[in-house]
Amino acid sequence: MLESEIWVTRLFNDYLAGAANAALKLAGLQAQARPWTNSMAMQIFVAALLMLVFAVLRLRLSVDKPGKLQHVFELVYEFVLGQAEDQVGHVAHKYLAFFGTIFLFILACNLIGIIPCFSCPTKDYAVTCGCALATFAYYHWNGILENGWRYPLQFMGPMWWLAWLMFPIEIISHLARVLSLTVRLYANMFAGEQVTIVFLGLVPLAVPVIFMGLHVFVSVIQAYIFMLLAMAYVGGAIAHEH
Amino acid sequence: MTKKMLLMLAILMLGATALSAQTPGQPAATTNWVPVGACIGMALAAGLCGLGQGKAVASAVEGMARNPGAAKPIQLAMLIGLAFIESLALYEIVIVFKLT
Repeated sequence: MLESEIWVTRLFNDYLAGAANAALKLAGLQAQARPWTNSMAMQIFVAALLMLVFAVLRLRLSVDKPGKLQHVFELVYEFVLGQAEDQVGHVAHKYLAFFGTIFLFILACNLIGIIPCFSCPTKDYAVTCGCALATFAYYHWNGILENGWRYPLQFMGPMWWLAWLMFPIEIISHLARVLSLTVRLYANMFAGEQVTIVFLGLVPLAVPVIFMGLHVFVSVIQAYIFMLLAMAYVGGAIAHEH
Repeated sequence: MTKKMLLMLAILMLGATALSAQTPGQPAATTNWVPVGACIGMALAAGLCGLGQGKAVASAVEGMARNPGAAKPIQLAMLIGLAFIESLALYEIVIVFKLT
């Protein structure tokens, strides 16, 4: 089902088609007339928007007279730090950048789809797969940094004579983590939008608002769960073997 | 009881010949089983998800009733659990939308 372009994608396709085609050629794919898709353009738009908000926040940071934006982001920081310390332990502050970024990025991507002129990037499985692969790479990288060559030992299981069985099971379960992160976020966003569309077709007035409200709630919960799972995986990866 | 069931079986068998009547000369109508399978799968997923979420909410509410001071953490844990159970049914809805 081809989707029509929103204004963000049209701007990207009109002015930045060359950049996208260069990237496609690098990957060995064919250059196209209008290479940017809605989800790709919206992802970059959300990232730029978040960077703009953080730039404004940074300029307005103050110890004596904190403004409203600073209060909001202090709340977000305390929340993410609290959750990370529950899952990871005392060293949570080292990984806070990734957790906060993934939470705010996925939250912004999920919520921007509800605003009429924008499209939700996370309803495309490629976007959620990107977030899941980034999390996968992050926790394995930090596990190797923390544990060194002992890192694969945690895949061997509790007893050495079970290692031949535990190793393939652990590998499959780690790959299943990527799959479940991808499909959980994608399915929630895609289904939320489809349900709203279906009810808009049935009863155009008032009833779809309930489903849009549910979609907002689910968006926030799914962003929180993605962050929570990322924290749990990092916590498991950096745990020291006894 | 068995007489009633035998009577129902007889009516069903008589009705079957009438129901499967077709105009002669037509090839046997092939039903497309893909939407049927998708619907049955989605119904199963939704029903079992409902059971699971009901159990989760029941335990959470009972915990909150026993210990009203711990209502906030229990509510948080309940919401996380509900989201995980919900996502299992949502995997099925993705399959439905991909198949139909």
